[in-house]
Amino acid sequence: MSGSDKVWDDADPERLYVITGGRSGDSQGGSIGLVTLIVSQSVPTAGMQPEHATIVRMCQAPLSVAEISAYLHLPVSVVTVLVTDLLAESRVEARALVARAQLPEPSLIEAVMHGLQKL
Amino acid sequence: MVRAGSSSGVSRPASGLLWTLPAVATAVCTAVVCAVVSGATRAPIAWSGLVATVAVALVSAAAVRRGRSLTELRVLYAEQDVALKRRLSQQEAETVRLAEVLLPDAVARLQKGEFPEDVLTSMATSEAGRNPDFQAAHRKVLRSVLEAVSAEEDLRDAAQRAFVNIARRVQAIIHQQAQDLREMEDRHGHTPEVFGDLLRLDHGTALVGRLADSIAVLGGARPGRQWSRAVPLFSVLRGAMSRILDYQRVELHSVSEIAVIGPTVEPLIHALAELLDNATRYSPPQTRVHLTAVEVQSGIAVEIEDGGVSLSEEARMRAERMLEQAQAGIDLNDLGETPRLGLAVVGRLSQAYGFQVSLRPSAYGGVRAVLIVPQEHLTTATATGRAHGIGAVGGTRAEKAPPRTTLPRTTNAPGTGPRQSPPMSAPSSSASVMDDDQPVVTERTANGLPQRRRRAPGAPTRPADPRDPRAAAAPAAAGSAPAATGETVEPGIWLAAFTSGVSGEPAATSSAREKSDESLDKGETP
Repeated sequence: MSGSDKVWDDADPERLYVITGGRSGDSQGGSIGLVTLIVSQSVPTAGMQPEHATIVRMCQAPLSVAEISAYLHLPVSVVTVLVTDLLAESRVEARALVARAQLPEPSLIEAVMHGLQKL
Repeated sequence: MVRAGSSSGVSRPASGLLWTLPAVATAVCTAVVCAVVSGATRAPIAWSGLVATVAVALVSAAAVRRGRSLTELRVLYAEQDVALKRRLSQQEAETVRLAEVLLPDAVARLQKGEFPEDVLTSMATSEAGRNPDFQAAHRKVLRSVLEAVSAEEDLRDAAQRAFVNIARRVQAIIHQQAQDLREMEDRHGHTPEVFGDLLRLDHGTALVGRLADSIAVLGGARPGRQWSRAVPLFSVLRGAMSRILDYQRVELHSVSEIAVIGPTVEPLIHALAELLDNATRYSPPQTRVHLTAVEVQSGIAVEIEDGGVSLSEEARMRAERMLEQAQAGIDLNDLGETPRLGLAVVGRLSQAYGFQVSLRPSAYGGVRAVLIVPQEHLTTATATGRAHGIGAVGGTRAEKAPPRTTLPRTTNAPGTGPRQSPPMSAPSSSASVMDDDQPVVTERTANGLPQRRRRAPGAPTRPADPRDPRAAAAPAAAGSAPAATGETVEPGIWLAAFTSGVSGEPAATSSAREKSDESLDKGETP
């Protein structure tokens, strides 16, 4: 009838707030960062929210939150909320990265590398 | 006289004789008196008798003639009387027909969209052989009524079109805004505070959008949006939830894995949103609304149950009647008297798309609305949805992946070497072998960390090209490449690429990886 009759192929009917149940992840996301690794502790079961099921299926091998976000085409906050739900149900486990302070000195690593290469 | 009136043909000879009777009688009397008297009186008597006879004869003749003309007149009048009465009854019948048959018929045809002229000409041919003046008058009546009606209809149409037009514009703005909001949500996804605000804005926009959709539907237009692809039922139900105020109270239960064909998606979402809105609005705020979809013989039954006040039988009848009325077509002017706009919309959509809607008392104490989507609007084919919304995403992704990797990419950034778009896996592995044989030159990252060459397949190291702006931007998505190709790469290595991307290192992304990123991007956003 008018110009607004165009086809909406690029959009999904559901909006993000329905997926997160209205939560934006500000209160729950404290322990989960972009690089936190998520590993499944279970297999997806029937009746799970599809995003939850997909995350559980994906994370059979450890994946970072940022990667999950990229795969699902969902913003990081949404993934954080979803992962927090799964953590609460113990369906997944979060593994924090090794902090940088715990890494040895760069020069030491370099020396070790050179040493190894000379072997 | 009376006999003459009843039958003039027979009475002529009789009345011809009859008028001579008084004259004959007078003549006979004169003759008798003349015979009786004698002498000198006879002559005057005879004369006066003769005069009297003549006079009587004249008077009789005049009387008879008048009587005859009177009779003729009476006959004439009687005939005229009969003719007039016949005409009168005809006209009465004609007027009754005009009022009871022609006018309603004409108005009905007008409302069906015929032009007044067409209706008039077809009416004119149907009533031939009557008094032309009377017919003309009737046609005039018909014409003026039709013109009034059509003017009214035109006015209503114009009003509806104006409504729909405005609704369409609002829809267009809302659509644009929803898209913008989605982009903003993606952009600010890592800032929970901003993201939360955006979600609230998004929700408000969706509510306004539903209102505009309702106006458009009530104005007789199709729903504004269209999906050309099938959408999984689960997404449709969540789409309906997106458009109501209290979506958090809706509890979405397990849904059969079925998809709704594109043209039906929008009306179904809208109808369900209106039903959900009714359910949440007319039940206590702390109660949940249950949303389920089960397969039935004729299609899919979507059930919406609330724990509110149960509908009395009377209220239920009223609601169903409203649905029926809406299915028959609703007048925008009546809407002011319709408090539950939603049911009118649901009725309209049900009528247009063949949904069956029924409202029943629920086991929870509230109302149980059931909307049945006919089989022809459903498809079992796996919908090509995006990642969220369908459960079987992982599978479809893996299936899709191989064609992506073979996408050739020939546009190289200058100075990045001879990357002539080879198939991915073979050259990358050979490159890594070559790299292994060469003496190692340790590179430094931007942070001063030494960089180790990776030996993982598909990840050979090349000197980073500072002129290639993609090198810094790409690694965030770099992890996608191995997954797409189906190779098994240790997760930590994907993460290494990711961390180097985050830390702003001009990463030494391999040609293969970069290519796969590009091709992946192409594949992801068709």
